[in-house]
Amino acid sequence: MTYVFQFGIVFDRFDELLAGAWLTVRLSALAMALGLSVAIVCAFLRTAGPRPVRWIVGAYVEAMRNTPFLVQIYVIFFSLPSFGIRFDANEAALVAMVVNLGAYATEIVRAGVQSVPVGQIEAGRALGLTRVQVYRLIVLFPALKAVFPALASQFILLLLGSSVVSAISAKELTAIANTLQSTTFRAFEVYIVVTFLYLGIAVAFRGLFAAIYWFVFRRGRA
Amino acid sequence: MTFTTRLLTAAMATALALGLGAGAADAQALDRILKEKKIRITAQVDSAPFGILDKDNKPTGSEIETARQLAKDLGVELELVQVSGAQRIPALLSDRADLAISSLSITAERAKSVWFSSPHGALSIVIGGPKSVNIKSAADLAGKKIGMSRATLEEQEVPKIAPPGTNIVFFDEHAATQQALLTGQVDAIGSAAFLINDLAKKAPDKQLEVKFTVVTAFYGIAVKPGNLDLLQWVNTWVFVNKHNGVLARIYEQQTGVKLVDLPSM
Repeated sequence: MTYVFQFGIVFDRFDELLAGAWLTVRLSALAMALGLSVAIVCAFLRTAGPRPVRWIVGAYVEAMRNTPFLVQIYVIFFSLPSFGIRFDANEAALVAMVVNLGAYATEIVRAGVQSVPVGQIEAGRALGLTRVQVYRLIVLFPALKAVFPALASQFILLLLGSSVVSAISAKELTAIANTLQSTTFRAFEVYIVVTFLYLGIAVAFRGLFAAIYWFVFRRGRA
Repeated sequence: MTFTTRLLTAAMATALALGLGAGAADAQALDRILKEKKIRITAQVDSAPFGILDKDNKPTGSEIETARQLAKDLGVELELVQVSGAQRIPALLSDRADLAISSLSITAERAKSVWFSSPHGALSIVIGGPKSVNIKSAADLAGKKIGMSRATLEEQEVPKIAPPGTNIVFFDEHAATQQALLTGQVDAIGSAAFLINDLAKKAPDKQLEVKFTVVTAFYGIAVKPGNLDLLQWVNTWVFVNKHNGVLARIYEQQTGVKLVDLPSM
């Protein structure tokens, strides 16, 4: 092969890549927090809510888990404006990531909820706690602890999946990389550098999750 | 001669032959194409009227018909390598295609990565948008959101003329850029004039129009750097078919617009 690598071009514009990486980190972190909140509420509604609510939540989860992420983004960015709901590219990206993660995480949290022994829930009910109190005070903590590794994996998948939002002109890492590639034509160099940036971000998030697990679930109660 | 030395000699001879063979094949792309009786040319089918899928899902358009004519004149079979706009140059560099004939405008920037032939086609880049959006010249772009596709000429040219305060956003495909214009996610788009006309016909209710011309560019056929023999043949082919009117005929048939006078490189 006679290809000559030229990384200089990529590092000249490294600040642009870093700006993209920072947006990727912010979008992902925000989507993780909001998506987990959605999941905690939906998991409760799906296990303990009234029957019609269970169906609605179930329909949401199945709709999100059985359609492509890219199509969901297109619907939010290109179709919702027809109904008067307009998000700019970054907002649309965040909304898509939250509803998508929310659905997957709902199923994960639900698995955790169902792993809590029925006796504990019955004990709570016998003490006169409401369903919401039982969920919040007795079920949630051990449930999240049980499924924390699965949740962390899902979060990383979300982080990597965020590369897709470049399709609607959100200026995250992959979008910057695509623009850089198409103006410098240095595809190999650009994508190799971006690969390592993603790897770094993912490893950093994994470290963060490990720390959260240690401080919240191991050192704390239980 | 012992068996071992014979084996060693044979191994060395084979290695030498393979090494030479590989080197020779690299330098003589045209010979390889003629020997394999097959040429691989990029086909971008999302940029009507240069490359598009017809009713039967077969690639057509001025660039693809040009590729067909070229393969026919070379006397080899044509293999179309489907690419997106952004993949046209990477497809060449990674040896997935021998030629890129996919509305690649000749620019000094791109010439750092690929080698261009003399131009065989042309296009104008314009700013297009709905009548209701008030844009008459480059100065009016300030404060507007202007969409365009990556890896296109507009991506390079529009930022040069855009005043500070212009919000330029990029999409991966023309389809997404056009959809953004139709749904009002951007105020106007930078695009080939044909695409704006095409879009205006498809969506008459949006009242799309060409606001002003940014630049006129010339399309060339690109080869991977080093394939000098192939480039020489392509240049000769372009020269012949420019003067016998074949290039202009294909262009006008497919785009409905007259081909401008093509300069030589």
